[in-house]
Amino acid sequence: MYYIHSRASITCQDSFRTDNVCEKLVVIDDTSDVVSPEYKEFIPPASLRRLSPVLKMGLTASIECKNQSGKDFDAIVVGTGLGCLKDTEKFLSTFLTSTSDFLSPTAFIQSTHNTIGGQISLGLGNHAYNMTHTQNSVSFEVSLLDAMMCINEGKKNVLVGAADEKIDFLKEVQPNLISADFPLCSGASFFVLSPEKSEVQVKAISTTFSSENVLTDIAAFLDVHNLEMEKIDLLLHSNDGIEEHVTPKDAFNFLDYSGFHYSASAFALHIAHDYLVNEEKEWALIVNDMCPTNIGIMLIQRDEA
Amino acid sequence: MEIFITGYGMISCIGSTIDESLEYLRAEKTGIQLGAFEALPQYRVGVVPFSNDEIKAKFNISTDGSRTALLGMVAAKQAFEGHKLNDSIRTGLISGTSVGGMDISEREYKNFLEQTNHNPANYKHHASGTSSEEIAKELGVTEFINTISTACSSAANSLMMGARMIKNGLLDRVIVGGTDGLSSFTISGFKSLMIFDDELCRPFDESRKGLNLGEGAGFIVLESEKSLKLSGKKPLAKLTGWSNASDAFHQTASSPNGYGATISMQEALNVAGLQAQDIDYINAHGTATPNNDLSESHAIKTIFKDAIPPFSSTKAYTGHTLAASGGIEAVFAILAIQQGLLYPNLNFSTPIEETGLIPQLKFEEGKTIKNVLSNSFGFGGNNSTVILSAI
Repeated sequence: MYYIHSRASITCQDSFRTDNVCEKLVVIDDTSDVVSPEYKEFIPPASLRRLSPVLKMGLTASIECKNQSGKDFDAIVVGTGLGCLKDTEKFLSTFLTSTSDFLSPTAFIQSTHNTIGGQISLGLGNHAYNMTHTQNSVSFEVSLLDAMMCINEGKKNVLVGAADEKIDFLKEVQPNLISADFPLCSGASFFVLSPEKSEVQVKAISTTFSSENVLTDIAAFLDVHNLEMEKIDLLLHSNDGIEEHVTPKDAFNFLDYSGFHYSASAFALHIAHDYLVNEEKEWALIVNDMCPTNIGIMLIQRDEA
Repeated sequence: MEIFITGYGMISCIGSTIDESLEYLRAEKTGIQLGAFEALPQYRVGVVPFSNDEIKAKFNISTDGSRTALLGMVAAKQAFEGHKLNDSIRTGLISGTSVGGMDISEREYKNFLEQTNHNPANYKHHASGTSSEEIAKELGVTEFINTISTACSSAANSLMMGARMIKNGLLDRVIVGGTDGLSSFTISGFKSLMIFDDELCRPFDESRKGLNLGEGAGFIVLESEKSLKLSGKKPLAKLTGWSNASDAFHQTASSPNGYGATISMQEALNVAGLQAQDIDYINAHGTATPNNDLSESHAIKTIFKDAIPPFSSTKAYTGHTLAASGGIEAVFAILAIQQGLLYPNLNFSTPIEETGLIPQLKFEEGKTIKNVLSNSFGFGGNNSTVILSAI
């Protein structure tokens, strides 16, 4: 059993330290920007100056999860689709234009994908398993899969989340590096997963890397778990076309609220959690087909008892 | 449940096949050369001596990709040779990389800055995850694709992830390893850290000044017992131990006493159900930076006490191939087990004063090597250890 014990999201919504994120959701547009918490409550000033947005977001969301759970993590699993883009671009510009033999290493050091996970371990003084997965649009799903294996292996408090940041250059390279019909945004969502009971659990997850039809994938997934779409209280998806073919009790496109980034399905998990708790419903299904061949499906259940 | 290894492949500056690589190892000959990376000829690096187009032609590669993806395809195809895709064997690919398609992106971004011939279509190879998807496509693997990006421990972590997925019943067979193509981005980055040696690197030597970078890819095939029966492959070795731990000391430097490295080695021994004295050879991370080798020496002494088995760093042969290193070094471990080999730590003359450790100095054959412990440590204090064992 994989219960959700803490959750923290920093997104274009007023989502941080919000009891029920569903009450705060507004459809975002091209002018939307990240609603930043007071980072200085979480990160010392010297680090704060040095850290890029994705690092601040990932580290702060993780510390908030730690504060909520009050327990040390025995594994830290981070997903990111495109990693630390701002520092990557900064170091690219620097070395391509500089004539000096001496470059500042900070942007290079902070450009590797696992800087997020590394900063979390440093910030929390945590020596546990520390993994970074990057698989484009399903980076969160493969991270969640790893976190669930950690629970199977006996770990009790697993931090799992995903973070991605928007840089202006992404617009220049659409649709080649990232293909989106939605406004681009940044976002970080982290959770504590535990075998100890709480109200909401991740019941199942699946990933597909050669999808021909997302509807077929959804049907096969529901079949494996003996469920019908009619029983699903909330379907969160990333493709409006899906709604024309299935009939859950309620459905919406999570990208309307997260904006487009490869960690958006992590925020969808946060939305699903809060929806089930506050509406007192049982089942949520999250279908991520941001990239049409790579599908992530997550089934979330609230224990009604 | 046992995890069997039934395939291996590598490409680096010491060869594009196992046999070529063995010739260099046996001859105690480095592949690192001054000027090998054309765009930045002032550095001593280990480069695969073919252009991207030459790699595609020479190794019959039909999928387009960055240098990272192409090198990965060469090694992964070697590893998967003789294997057949089969509906009853759930097969995945897990690859580690730190730079993904940076070799192409950095050329294109230069065009962007200079506002000449900027072609955004070329960024389609940039994402690290895409490089793995391209390797999987070349092999025809579709069931599961994953990319680990934990800097220099990426490939070791891919081995660990693959073994765990088999143990958790999620896959039957998985191609695991890592790949990194050399880029100006990486060379300039390590230059900015001031951890290059202008001469050939000297792991575990008192006079060591830093590392030489390299590029390449190393992959192995892991199978469950059930998969083995279906594939009919003969196991070469087993993957018996794995662990990942955080040093939580500094973003790029290792703790002086090697705390994270000590945890990762001890936990890998625990997973394998082995004692320190069961290890016959340690393939050290041994980058030849003053910090890593001192820290790793302390950790080795903590774990192995007064009975340190033969150990060496093979990075003076290949250069530090970053995310590929754990894959390439897993191939070396399999060869050591199969053929009873010990690899010398090239360019060593004086032990580190503080720790006094003397690595393996000569290439030796005919040894009995049952268990090899292999370390890979990355930025972010990401410390990984894998243990490979004889059948």
